[in-house]
Amino acid sequence: MRNYHTTLLFLFLLVSLPAWAQRQVVQGYVRAASNNEALIGATISAPEAGLGTITNEEGFYTLSLPRGEHSLQATYVGYTTATRSISVAGSGQSINFILEPASNELQVVEIQASSLRQKLNDTRMSVETLTSREAKLLPALFGEVDLLKTLQLKPGVQSSGEGTSGLYVRGGGPDQNLVLLDDALIYNPSHLFGFFSVFNPDAVKSVELYKGGFPAQFGGRLSSVVDVKMNRGNNERVRSTGGLGLISSRLTVDGPIVKDKLNFSVSGRRTYVDIFTRQINRLKEGDDDFSPIPDYYFYDLNGNLTYTLGENDELSLSGYYGRDFFGFNDSDFSFGFDWGNTMGSLRWRHKFNDNLYATTSLTSTGYKYNINNKIDIFSFKLTSQVQDYTFKTDFDWFLGDGHSLKLGAQATHHGFTVGRLNFESSDSTLNFGAGSTYSGLEFGLYASDDFVLSPMLSFNYGLRLSGFNSGGKTYAAPEPRASVKYTLNEHTSLKASYASMMQYVHLLTNSGASLPTDIWYPSNEGVKPQRSQQAAVGVSHLFGKGRYLVTNEVYYKWMHNQIDFRDGANLFVNDSLENEFLFGRGESYGNELYLEKVSGKTTGWLGYTLSWTYRTFDGINNGRRFPARYDRRHDISLVLMHQLNKRLSLTTAFVYGTGSAYSVPVARFAFQDVEGKEPSIVPIYEDRNAYRLAAYHRLDLGAVLKLRPRWGEADLTFSVYNVYNRRNPYFVYFEQQKDRNDEQTILGFQAKQVSLFPFIPSVTYNFRF
Amino acid sequence: MRKLFLYLLVPLLALLAACDLEKDIDVELPNHEPQLVVECYLEQGKYIRASVLESSGYFEDPAPPMVPDAEVYITTPAGKRIELKYKPVIVKSTGRFYTHTSTEILSGQPGQTYQLEVVDGKGRRVTGFTKIQPRVPIEEVEWKFNDEEEAYLLTSFQDDANTANYYRYMTHIDSLSGGSDRDFVTSDDLTNGKRVSLGSSYKYREGDTLIVTLYHIEKQYYDFLASISDAKSANGNPFAQPSQINSSVEGGFGIFTNLAYDRKSVVITK
Repeated sequence: MRNYHTTLLFLFLLVSLPAWAQRQVVQGYVRAASNNEALIGATISAPEAGLGTITNEEGFYTLSLPRGEHSLQATYVGYTTATRSISVAGSGQSINFILEPASNELQVVEIQASSLRQKLNDTRMSVETLTSREAKLLPALFGEVDLLKTLQLKPGVQSSGEGTSGLYVRGGGPDQNLVLLDDALIYNPSHLFGFFSVFNPDAVKSVELYKGGFPAQFGGRLSSVVDVKMNRGNNERVRSTGGLGLISSRLTVDGPIVKDKLNFSVSGRRTYVDIFTRQINRLKEGDDDFSPIPDYYFYDLNGNLTYTLGENDELSLSGYYGRDFFGFNDSDFSFGFDWGNTMGSLRWRHKFNDNLYATTSLTSTGYKYNINNKIDIFSFKLTSQVQDYTFKTDFDWFLGDGHSLKLGAQATHHGFTVGRLNFESSDSTLNFGAGSTYSGLEFGLYASDDFVLSPMLSFNYGLRLSGFNSGGKTYAAPEPRASVKYTLNEHTSLKASYASMMQYVHLLTNSGASLPTDIWYPSNEGVKPQRSQQAAVGVSHLFGKGRYLVTNEVYYKWMHNQIDFRDGANLFVNDSLENEFLFGRGESYGNELYLEKVSGKTTGWLGYTLSWTYRTFDGINNGRRFPARYDRRHDISLVLMHQLNKRLSLTTAFVYGTGSAYSVPVARFAFQDVEGKEPSIVPIYEDRNAYRLAAYHRLDLGAVLKLRPRWGEADLTFSVYNVYNRRNPYFVYFEQQKDRNDEQTILGFQAKQVSLFPFIPSVTYNFRF
Repeated sequence: MRKLFLYLLVPLLALLAACDLEKDIDVELPNHEPQLVVECYLEQGKYIRASVLESSGYFEDPAPPMVPDAEVYITTPAGKRIELKYKPVIVKSTGRFYTHTSTEILSGQPGQTYQLEVVDGKGRRVTGFTKIQPRVPIEEVEWKFNDEEEAYLLTSFQDDANTANYYRYMTHIDSLSGGSDRDFVTSDDLTNGKRVSLGSSYKYREGDTLIVTLYHIEKQYYDFLASISDAKSANGNPFAQPSQINSSVEGGFGIFTNLAYDRKSVVITK
């Protein structure tokens, strides 16, 4: 019976092939009329043939069309659609589009609707795209727009806790996300324990999140790819964009240095809570009951310089530098703690001919933290660091006949400094140190083919070969990737994908949060690389005159050689870390339902995820499977944006999630200890993560009011976080209830739940001129 | 270290302190099967005594349940089996509580092994071993004053390079009652064979009497104390992972070890 079906399907495919066989390649650029900027992700379609594609990072597209007459459309959000009538005959041809900015809302709406059709026809699945523009409309905690937190509103993506920006994608940890900023890896994408991401919304253009079906050009992490693209300087004039918020301000300046040749973009952002806390400390000086508030701030800088060498060559230089700083100073005690990422990347894009492009880059990226502690004559310094140098080259080769090849190679040198400690006193009575350094070489080689067999059937298949060498041990593995799309009819398509991923560097963390002191560590003799496999199937259906797209995906993910730690592991200043490791496996499976509407006055999405995530380790939970802390049975997010009139838009976001799996002690015993100690209560933990915190839910509201400044543009963005002041659980603990008279006798025990963020209103002023 | 992060959160939490972000909740816990909890410290020249209690569900009666039918035996290196009688007693001078006592006095030599066995009417059985540790002498206790009349304390001893050593360091102000001033465990991982100096911050004043104790402890005691500390800090710290108790005994919770220590008393003077 099964064979019969397969044969039928195959015959059906063959029937549709002949008309398809006679094809030619049409290709070209899509650029903005205002500043000649390449429009990335613009849709090019030939509606009659039912074919389409999107432009790449250079604004370039290639489309294979059957011979004959076609009307070719180029569309991009915020611009008018351009249509050209073309005749496809014996040879390929180049068709470029220059798009004018849209003059009315209706045009914008139409274009957005066509992006849903593009999504329906895309071979890729499990991909979420978000622009900085969208993220800025939505309500945000303290008014700080954050792209990573907005991604948490998409199905299959979860946060680790209240207000944090770490992404848990389909049961994977935040250390298993490949976070790329202009193709360069960012090791720790968060500030202040993950409450804010390192991406300044003004410096970022868009972010794409791959939850599965990973293309072969990506490798090195198990669970997701977060591909962030920085804004490039515009080619027209120098302009400024910025904002003043409750806790931070930001400013971006971009424009041409040499018109049509060289342009730049520089962004900076800094928080200023420390300015107020210092004032408070000064006012309270001399008050013995007041303990001074420590200093805390973070800042980040983004820069981009693009040089167009000629028609076929372009050089670009991107950089990121960010630091968090925490400090405390007293007459004989000083404490400083700083951490952050530094990234620099030089890229060269070369066009060999209309069918072959190459992008070659040299990247340096690193993450580092320093702790300096000084008590009178004693000083204590602790540093950990990871520093990478990467060479990477990628080729895009349009073969015609529906084939587009991607080939590439990557080599990375990793340097790790793990817990370098120095403890000394200035009178030399004390002096000792610890710490280890490691290095590793990581390689990747890949080839993939985007193959449009017919308007109905398209494939993307590829293979990545990856390898890693450290401490005399070499690992290598093939990572096959494949996805397929089959269009059932004009409104419905089916998709399936498989991806195998390897991860050779590991984040050592034994906490539920993203802490700046988490250490990166290489694979070696005793630490095997992590490995995952993921299979997913999905169906997409377009309805309501093409205004709504509903997508349902089912996935299953296996993870091997997952790393955890034995109970009581010491990751802090430990020269034999490997004795603390435990290795195990993980699995995650679930269903993601996603309904989106991108046109009309009201837009938004509704996501529902049903999922299970487990881990199994020999040394944890007596070897029995246990739910991961972020195992979330139900997860719902609803996002609505309504354009009330030309000046005012209203937004709302609602999230609901099953409570996190958490460990609470089930029992206790009294511990007397030796002479000279007071007796105490010791909690006994049994099954790992067996208790569920209360469900998480929250409603946020936002409004963006466009102002009418004398020059430029400006708006006020209002946000209300946690509108109905839900006290969501952050953690739970058990407290001893003592007799108030003697403060000794224990009367009983009480469970307490601690919440983090109550109702928080905020306002941000944004400008652009 | 994890406490540092809680401290780092202070400025943020201070902003939100006005809102009541903590509340009482009801937590339903699974049934806990009570286990024996044994504490037995052998000390040269002292009576051999132990306390045997039971663990209880977290929200049950706070008083630790007694186990009158528990039988406790200590076997000496010479093979003599000493029975400790059930006779709950609080020693007034030290405030220690024992459920099982004997009139035997310990006189063991470093390197000798003693054995513990506890059985009760429910068929529960707890066993353990301890190897007598040599005492490590405190070589020097010194202090230095700063300009604000505060002194820090430095305690030095010599680590034996040939063995893996574990220490517990404790200081008390004025007397041993009322809890310790400082208490921590350390290993010689970073200081093997060196003269080790353990310090404090500037916190002592002229005239303070300080009692400094250096225990040379077994690895099993070190692991037990570390797991106790981890388990306590996991309750109430959102960044910590839950930790199992690393008991030195099998069949229940608790510790069977010996205490070999050097103790010095100093008065801080200028």
